[in-house]
Amino acid sequence: METHFYLSLFPMEALIASQLNPAQFGSYMATGSKKGSAERLIFAEISGDFGSWFDWNHALHRCVRHPNGDLKNSVYLSVYRVLEHTPLEVFKALYLTTQDGRILELFASEYSAPDQGRDFFIYKELCPITPLVISTLPPREFCAYMTDPHIKTYVPKLMYTDLKMIDFDNPEQTGNIGNIYDNKLDHLKECIHEVTTYKEKPNKILERSHATSFTYQVIKNGIYAGDQDSFLFFRMKSEQELKDQAYDWAKSAMIL
Amino acid sequence: MTGLLAAAVIAAIGLAMINFILVKRMDPGLPEMVEIASAIREGSDAFIKHEYTVILRIALLIALLLALVVSWYTGVAFILGALMSSLAGLIGMKIATLANVRVSNTARLTGSLGKTLKVAFRGGSVMGLSVAGFALLGLGILYYVFGELLGQTSLENLRIVTNHLGINYIPFTMTVSGYALGCSIVAMFDRVGGGIYTKAADMGADLVGKTEAQIPEDDPRNPATIADNVGDNVGDVAGLGADLLESFVGSIISCVVLATYMYYLSLDSSSPIPGSMVIKLIRYPLLFTALGLLSCILGILLLMIRKVSDKPHRELNTATWTSAFLTVLSTGVLTWFLFSGEPTTGSGFFLGPLSPWISAVLGIVSGIAVGSLAERSTSYDYPSTRLIAEASREGAALTITQGMAVGLKSVFLPVLVLGAAIVAADAVAGLYGVAMAAVGMLSFVAATVSVDTYGPIADNAGGISEMAKLDHRVRDITDELDSVGNTTAAIGKGFAIGSAALAAISLFATFLFSQSSPGDTGGILLIDGNNILEADGRKFVLLLNMINPLTLSGAVIGSALPFLFSGILIESVAKAARKMVQEVRRQFSADPKILSGESKPDYKQCISISSAGALAEMKVPAAIAVLSPLLGGFILGPEFVGGMLIGTTFTAIMLALYTANAGGAWDNGKKFIEKGMYGGKGSNTHSAAVIGDTVGDPLKDTVGPSLDILIKIMAVISLITVSVFQRYNLLELVKVLF
Repeated sequence: METHFYLSLFPMEALIASQLNPAQFGSYMATGSKKGSAERLIFAEISGDFGSWFDWNHALHRCVRHPNGDLKNSVYLSVYRVLEHTPLEVFKALYLTTQDGRILELFASEYSAPDQGRDFFIYKELCPITPLVISTLPPREFCAYMTDPHIKTYVPKLMYTDLKMIDFDNPEQTGNIGNIYDNKLDHLKECIHEVTTYKEKPNKILERSHATSFTYQVIKNGIYAGDQDSFLFFRMKSEQELKDQAYDWAKSAMIL
Repeated sequence: MTGLLAAAVIAAIGLAMINFILVKRMDPGLPEMVEIASAIREGSDAFIKHEYTVILRIALLIALLLALVVSWYTGVAFILGALMSSLAGLIGMKIATLANVRVSNTARLTGSLGKTLKVAFRGGSVMGLSVAGFALLGLGILYYVFGELLGQTSLENLRIVTNHLGINYIPFTMTVSGYALGCSIVAMFDRVGGGIYTKAADMGADLVGKTEAQIPEDDPRNPATIADNVGDNVGDVAGLGADLLESFVGSIISCVVLATYMYYLSLDSSSPIPGSMVIKLIRYPLLFTALGLLSCILGILLLMIRKVSDKPHRELNTATWTSAFLTVLSTGVLTWFLFSGEPTTGSGFFLGPLSPWISAVLGIVSGIAVGSLAERSTSYDYPSTRLIAEASREGAALTITQGMAVGLKSVFLPVLVLGAAIVAADAVAGLYGVAMAAVGMLSFVAATVSVDTYGPIADNAGGISEMAKLDHRVRDITDELDSVGNTTAAIGKGFAIGSAALAAISLFATFLFSQSSPGDTGGILLIDGNNILEADGRKFVLLLNMINPLTLSGAVIGSALPFLFSGILIESVAKAARKMVQEVRRQFSADPKILSGESKPDYKQCISISSAGALAEMKVPAAIAVLSPLLGGFILGPEFVGGMLIGTTFTAIMLALYTANAGGAWDNGKKFIEKGMYGGKGSNTHSAAVIGDTVGDPLKDTVGPSLDILIKIMAVISLITVSVFQRYNLLELVKVLF
């Protein structure tokens, strides 16, 4: 029986070995076994057995069928500094799991700087930290900045996504983007003003720990992962693509 | 008359049968669609079977009591009414559970909104035509058998008789009242039982499935989803059909009873109503509605025969308004030919032979006005509902508060319209005109019920498409049809409440008339109305002495009854919904593979919970409706019941408008947010709106419709039994003893 290795990235960072395929693993992690949970999570399937940071033997030894023949759901290898020690080359695919356990599979694709039509970006950092940030830097430059060891608050590796923005001339017609800008409009405008006015400060935190109100509806172009040397871009499917290819997922994600 | 009535009934039932067969012969689609549709059909059939078993026992008991205490023909008419109403409900539900999957399959095969709309409407038309067709069939049988063959409508029999227990009544009025009561009893159980069923399932499915487990609407992983779809059929189809059939019959019989008593009571006056005129007054509402039915058949055929566009709202409106227009036109001609040249002495026709027609048209206009006002209060195209959506940004408490404000405010204008309609209809054609206003409002009921039934069929079709995982283009079509159904339902509710209010007020007037005795009009407190000018200087008006403490206390207690009734209903829904929530949670916990889609949930268990809950809980509200006028009457007499009817009718109208409009506004406030306002789906604003919608659900779909029936059933029961408790009541006995 094949052992899969999953890198859970949001909301919890962990490396997990499992006999479940990605769809089964997503459903198991989101809805639990008998715990009645409903948790949105992002994970990646990676090829295992790289480097010496993780105990691969432990995984292979423990990740076996239960005595009754059931598949082993999960064997945790690590729950700390996992992304940091995982090279981006081992990423096979990224999975966005809805609260009811449906997955959307995204593969890394070629990156080109997005044309925002505005002079700022909003980034939701997903792993290993989770703030909501306003930035004037495009995605790749933002990644380089955030993983630069010369910056006091750098992280060795970062996974994040860029978000949709509302029309300030018509702030009530937000579209189905969830909770992200509720009650924060004034602060949002101040942050945008700050980063666009004072060029020496390209980033401004809009919210320190923005973990619970993030939804897939608000993802604009896709999800990014990178460090100083490598960079991955997982393009988000358009609404029409979702309708045609992942209708059920999009319904569960409340995009359709 | 017999010819026109028979033609309308045969055409309606014939077309309903043709449409039934045509829909049934259509391809139901893929095996998975058939499997889902079968589960919905079996659930609906099982519930209706249980419900009708309960109704049958109660109906036989009531029929026996009526036959023993009042007359054998009242008991027979009662059974006939119950049978006609049950048949209409049953056929409507059957076609809805056959049409749902065929609508879905038509969308799948053709990809055409117009063609799919036709199938849904064809299915809906079976219910619409059955409601009007069976109602008139029963009334036709009564008129022909009891009226003509047994002579109850001959002038010499339009007199008060006294039975073996000393109870006074006019035979034909008792026959038609028994018929109306039969319809009312079935409607009460269908509406209350169906209402509890549908909301228990809906709330159970939403509270755990959508809110806790975050499963989308109509997802096959939700154990309550089939029960939810069954609820649409037993509540929104069978319940609605029986309700409107009862209103339709109630409005017609109130005209018949009023005409009969007006004639009888005018015999001693200086200007009696001529015999030929009273016969026409009795026949008129039947002929009027027969023409209405024929007009509806043309309106329905217009949609079904021609090539329809992809604009469902416009097509449905065309069918409804064509039916209404043809009804107005044809009944105008009928009225002219029927009453021109006829002496209108004593009948209260102030604007000549067209007076009752003008009253009926006033009813139609006020129905449209009440429906439009309901739309203004509930549609997100208007400010009221948008305010609720906006208030949801500040949390659920303000969603509820704002919704209550919208609902409460929404009561005033429709009541103003109804008040104006009553005054105007009375000014044109007296109390008979008020009754005709209700008849007018319901004269094209076949078309409005067809449109109303189309809604739940389209809703079910959407559910089947979703559960069978059909292509998104199919789901887009069924979703579009469903959303139009939601709008038409809101307007339909306005019509249902308006017509129920006018019918109840007409029935209340007949209740007062029914207290008269042979050769004595004193029993109903007829007085000379000095303030009303008449050619001969004498005019009768009805009086209910409001200063009488019995009447006053009746009014106060009667006013409280709808609150008690509504509270019990909401509690019943909550109780059944809680059981459903627990069951859905249990299934998710017992088998985690349900959520991963590897196991099928136990749909039948949820269907059983809704069924058992509805069947157990419907008895108390039904008992309140049936027993309160009886208990009031047999303990404190007719004055008390008169007051009680006034109180109940008025507060029930207000509550029905409030619950329907507040519930509709909460629902559409949520839908407005889902269109991408204030964060849209998944936002805190949306969560607050969902709570508002859930609170509003039992209000608009259980309480409101049941209140419509409460007022009519109480009025009909009082009408039938007043002559009994007028003679036998505890208060009188105490007076005699002490």
